[in-house]
Amino acid sequence: MDDIVKSTIEKIRNEHISPEPRWKYLARKYFAWIVFAAIIFLGAASFSAAYYLVSGLDWDLYRFSHRSFLSFAIPLIPYFWILLIGAFLAIALADMRKTENGYRYGLGKMIIIAAGSLIAIGAVFSLIGFGGRLNSLVAKSFPYYGSHMMMTKETQWMQPDSGFLAGTIISVSSNGMTLVDLNSRRWDIATDSNTLVRPAVDVLQGEMIKVIGKKQDAGLFHANEIRPWSGMGMMSGQGGRNGYGGGIMNGQGMMRGGK
Amino acid sequence: MGEKEPKKDAELVELSKSDPESFGFLMERYESQLFHYIRRIGQLSKEDTEDILQEVFIKIYKNLNGYNESLKFSSWAYRIAHNHVIDHFRRANARPKTNSLEDEEWERLISSSVRIDKAIMDKDCIERIKSCIQELPMKYREILILRFIEEKDYEEIMDILKKPKGSVATLVSRGKEMLVRNMKEKNINCF
Repeated sequence: MDDIVKSTIEKIRNEHISPEPRWKYLARKYFAWIVFAAIIFLGAASFSAAYYLVSGLDWDLYRFSHRSFLSFAIPLIPYFWILLIGAFLAIALADMRKTENGYRYGLGKMIIIAAGSLIAIGAVFSLIGFGGRLNSLVAKSFPYYGSHMMMTKETQWMQPDSGFLAGTIISVSSNGMTLVDLNSRRWDIATDSNTLVRPAVDVLQGEMIKVIGKKQDAGLFHANEIRPWSGMGMMSGQGGRNGYGGGIMNGQGMMRGGK
Repeated sequence: MGEKEPKKDAELVELSKSDPESFGFLMERYESQLFHYIRRIGQLSKEDTEDILQEVFIKIYKNLNGYNESLKFSSWAYRIAHNHVIDHFRRANARPKTNSLEDEEWERLISSSVRIDKAIMDKDCIERIKSCIQELPMKYREILILRFIEEKDYEEIMDILKKPKGSVATLVSRGKEMLVRNMKEKNINCF
């Protein structure tokens, strides 16, 4: 057996065998972590894009569409981004397993590290508005995504036949207003004493609003509820009511507008 | 004056990077263990086992800069030996077998894998259980050898095979279950 030791040392000397340089191992080690970080960044970008879509939607509208929350919510889920997040997470976990000590981490710990960093970086991306920009970029580059796969606040509120309409007020009268919707179509909006105007709504020319009601005729829409473009409009806005502010307060602190 | 303490593995690794003679001390320390491990997981002649052992040592030497000191040197060396033997059989397009175990090693493997009293194991019984172990897939046979003949703990097996600890425990337990099932199917009842 000792012959093996001697002959191995001889072989090392005769064939000038030497240890591989350290930088090769370090490069391999750090490359695996750089790939992991890149995948997590891609996953985080997908997360911010999904969050942008989900956070822009009004999730209470199922109450007005006479559907269960589940049947209302299923078409609104951003499947494209969720699939990408899942794929990036799976690739990140597989890559992490291939790192030098990756086999030592349990699956639970790996999921916490990968998903935790993906969500944290995704939250930062969302804060700097990256999610919206990414959605616009993808919709521009892949028109099919924009027309069939991207459920946005705009698509949600441009369904006059289902009772949802959004646009910019171009004039206000005593019994309603005129607005131009997001497709540049003109609508006369009829209001009455039962129309609920959310406290944060500024019924002023140039303001963007969302209207829940019923389409009565081509270009005519009866408003049951008016909300500001951003949010639910539960908090009071800064501007005046321009005739609507004198409406009655209901029990929930909302105002009834119109004459 | 006390005797000079033998150098630790990590120290010898550092010295070996510039001096092959120091690597000789490491080889002496592990040649017997690695020789038997290679013999146990492959069915090779003494000469072939020695050839593979030398290739393993050369591979260890070339990879000294990749040794991670958070591991036991023996686990790292076993890992290289394991991978090299697998590569050897892949290249030769052959399947390693375990009937190169010594009788005493067989007894140890059998009594650790199935609840059986050594005293009541007769030769015929051992032979029949041997055939059941040989029929186990390579991954189960190897893990039973590592656990019960090499007597490695789960942490070490995890480092050798680069598998999570849970997977190691599962493989050991499935290997034992599979062996008992094979024995039942063949009506082997030595208990």
